[in-house]
Amino acid sequence: MSAVAASANTTNTTTTADLLVCDQLGVGVPGRPLLATVHTQFVPGRVTAILGPNGAGKSTLLAMLSGQRTPRSGHVWMGGQPVSGKGAQALARQRAVLPQDTVVAFDFTVQEVVEMGRFPHRQQPSHHEARIVTEAMEATGVAHLAGRSINTLSGGERARSHLARALAQIWEPLPDGATRWLLLDEPTAALDLAHQHHTLALVRRWAVEQGVGVVAVLHDLNLALRYAHDSLLLAPGLAGPRSVHATAHLLTPSTIAQVWGVHSTPVWAADGVPQYLVAAQ
Amino acid sequence: MLRDPMAVQSWGPGGARRLLLRGVAALPLLSAMGSGAAWAARPARIVSLGGALTEVVYLLGAQGQLVGTDTTSLFPEAALKTAKVGYTRQLSAEGLLSLQPDAVVGTTEAGPPVVLDQVRSAGVRVELVQADHTWDEVRRKVATVGRVAGREREAQALQADLDAQWATVQKQVAATTRRPRAIFILSHGGSPMVAGTGTAADALIRFAGATNAITQFAGYRPLTAEAMASAAPEVLLNSTQGIEALGGEAAFWQRPELALTPAFRRKALVAMEASHLLGFGPRLPAAVRELHTRTQAITT
Amino acid sequence: MSGVAVAPPGARWSLRRLSPRAALLWGIALVGLAFVWASTRGAYAIAPAQLWQVLLQAVGATPTTEQAPEYLVFINIRLPRLLMGVAAGAGLGLAGALMQGLFRNPLADPGLVGVSSGAALAAAVTIVLGMHWLPDMPRTLGSWALVGMAFGGGLLVTALIYALAQADGGTRMGLMLLAGVAVNALALAGLGYLNFISTDEQLRNIQMWLLGSLGGARWSAVALVGTIVAAACGLGLALARPLNAIALGEAQAALLGVPVERTKRLAVLVTALAVGAVTAATGIIGFIGLVAPHWVRLVAGPDHRVVLPGSALLGAALVLAADGVARTIVQPAELPLGVLTAFIGVPLFLAMLRQFRNKV
Repeated sequence: MSAVAASANTTNTTTTADLLVCDQLGVGVPGRPLLATVHTQFVPGRVTAILGPNGAGKSTLLAMLSGQRTPRSGHVWMGGQPVSGKGAQALARQRAVLPQDTVVAFDFTVQEVVEMGRFPHRQQPSHHEARIVTEAMEATGVAHLAGRSINTLSGGERARSHLARALAQIWEPLPDGATRWLLLDEPTAALDLAHQHHTLALVRRWAVEQGVGVVAVLHDLNLALRYAHDSLLLAPGLAGPRSVHATAHLLTPSTIAQVWGVHSTPVWAADGVPQYLVAAQ
Repeated sequence: MLRDPMAVQSWGPGGARRLLLRGVAALPLLSAMGSGAAWAARPARIVSLGGALTEVVYLLGAQGQLVGTDTTSLFPEAALKTAKVGYTRQLSAEGLLSLQPDAVVGTTEAGPPVVLDQVRSAGVRVELVQADHTWDEVRRKVATVGRVAGREREAQALQADLDAQWATVQKQVAATTRRPRAIFILSHGGSPMVAGTGTAADALIRFAGATNAITQFAGYRPLTAEAMASAAPEVLLNSTQGIEALGGEAAFWQRPELALTPAFRRKALVAMEASHLLGFGPRLPAAVRELHTRTQAITT
Repeated sequence: MSGVAVAPPGARWSLRRLSPRAALLWGIALVGLAFVWASTRGAYAIAPAQLWQVLLQAVGATPTTEQAPEYLVFINIRLPRLLMGVAAGAGLGLAGALMQGLFRNPLADPGLVGVSSGAALAAAVTIVLGMHWLPDMPRTLGSWALVGMAFGGGLLVTALIYALAQADGGTRMGLMLLAGVAVNALALAGLGYLNFISTDEQLRNIQMWLLGSLGGARWSAVALVGTIVAAACGLGLALARPLNAIALGEAQAALLGVPVERTKRLAVLVTALAVGAVTAATGIIGFIGLVAPHWVRLVAGPDHRVVLPGSALLGAALVLAADGVARTIVQPAELPLGVLTAFIGVPLFLAMLRQFRNKV
């Protein structure tokens, strides 16, 4: 494994067994031009946002991190092992993925959908299977919908149900203490304002309190500034391999103008978190 | 009567057990049907699978023994009132046994074979007649029914009578020299289904001193209008049921594929009732005679 | 069933569903009821008292040397037919549920993988051309040859459709559907051609075979079909949780660690085996595979841990009921079973839809 550039987000206590590492990872779809090269590592206990305009390869990168796609070039390492070499079962116990949208066939209830998240653990069930499902639903605020058919819910309620499923999947710490990863593809896209904040606060708490590594594709810069410790910027026209930086340092008005083509004015929220007021150029 | 001559044929898996069951089953089966009577004298209850076989039963005066017939047994009219066991190729074992027959007579068309085996294993005698579209077929039918019904003497008398009729008819046919070209039409779809070689209709045509204009294939096949024209039949044969289904003789002649045939010019159609014409039963000499007379008349 | 959570306290179950245990108990009760009812029905009249005597005799509780005709009729004819009905209904119901889970669509039915049309084509080939190739086939072997050919034909056509559905290293369900449509059409055309070249007798035999009937049920056939269906049920039930996850989509299921390709392969194999065996022995019995799973879902929800066994049980009950009517309604003749399964199944299905229409 080639040396990975040290970045400000590595602490002394994390070892390679904990990291999610992209080693000269070529992000792109076969048959189309390469979108970007990512050479960085994601650290557990922190929320890392993947930012960028549409079509920059954010979802593709997330798919490579989760093992759904094989990399065009380069490697992804999770806990010291290449992701593409791990079995689907082992991966599923270690990382949960929340896709952009999921269409559920048939009339499953929310509770049944969340239970599906426990599939990877069916051969070694926890002592608290029922409680895990319940608490996951309570965490994302869908417990009162447990008996409802998921296809009758609103977009936001469905999104929160699937998040509960992802949380249930990695609810309990792994026996060998390896890092659990939560990979989210636009988790706030369908949610209303209150739930956007509630959800990102929840995953940040998971990261900080439980040492879970959270990687989320986000569109909203202000949400990233508030909830994501670090960010990775994917955009056409940016030179060099991409790597993770502290969000506040990464997002400067000139960078925002270059990547998104908008004019931004820095402001500070009442609790000191930097935000931007955005307007067209 | 209970020593089944077809026993050898039905030995499949478990044959020995079946034979034992058959022997043992016979006695209670009998006693269930009428206690006290000496079994040799009591007439056998018969199920008949085939219009011709049913006709023979009535001609032998054994209709009192008839407990069931198949769907093709439509003559004489009294046969319509007997219990119908369904289509001869798709019988029901329990259905047959519920009539408590001693014997079942049919042609080799009867089936499915498994059902017949089940019926045999319950002690019922099953006799099947090979159908080969010859006069011998009729003789076999008469002999089999006579044997099964216990009326061999009446059967022999009937046979002699029928043989005499047959001889007369054959002489009558041989006396005429003209052999008109005929085609038998089974049904009208997009193209008419006609009888090729190896069919009952083909045999009838030959018996009646005509020639089947269709020699290129066996069985019933659809014929195109051009093929019908090149076959050039002088007379067309059909069943009365077929003509009725079309809506009458006038409707029949409106079929476009017939317009180019020699038969069309003279409206040469001979229609006879289906089971009479093709049943290969006791009415065969009469059918052949009628067919011969009418085809000769209509093609002069 | 581990892993099944109970409703959190205070949550309303808005969908009034049977619990899994209740649903399965109902299913077993339904099959039991149908079996008892069907065993008392038949063209050969057997009074309940006589039936009781027959059963005692069968288990050896009554020592008798002679066997009454009722005994022979029940043990040799009616009982194997009932058991064949159970096996047929269970196999078809299970296969229907598997196909609907695999295609993620309640309109899927086992015929999509071509096993029914393959069996029909192979049966027609045997009936029409068999005599040419093997003219000395003894009669009893003849019917086994038909069964064997039909089974083989069903498996072959399914394998073909499965092979055609392979793309990008996996099985594409969309491709399988289209390949199934095409191959089914081809099999139908082949059947049409065989109809055309067949003699009158062969044609009637083909038609009768296609209409489906339990009439040819012998103990040997029951043992064979029953074993295959039992094995299929055993294998199929293991697919329940994977199929649940596949309802989220194949990509999501793979991310949950479901072995999606293996699941698809196994589901198609189990369907081909079960439906192939049943179709080979009884001809084509339609509608059960489509309706039974849908019905179970309406009553007990879509969890495959209930739908798979429930569909097998309900399928068995439906076939028993339909066959009970088929062999008595025009006695001493009998109606083809395929006709009855539609006549009985459709009104009941529509009644159920009406009852639960707000849930569809």
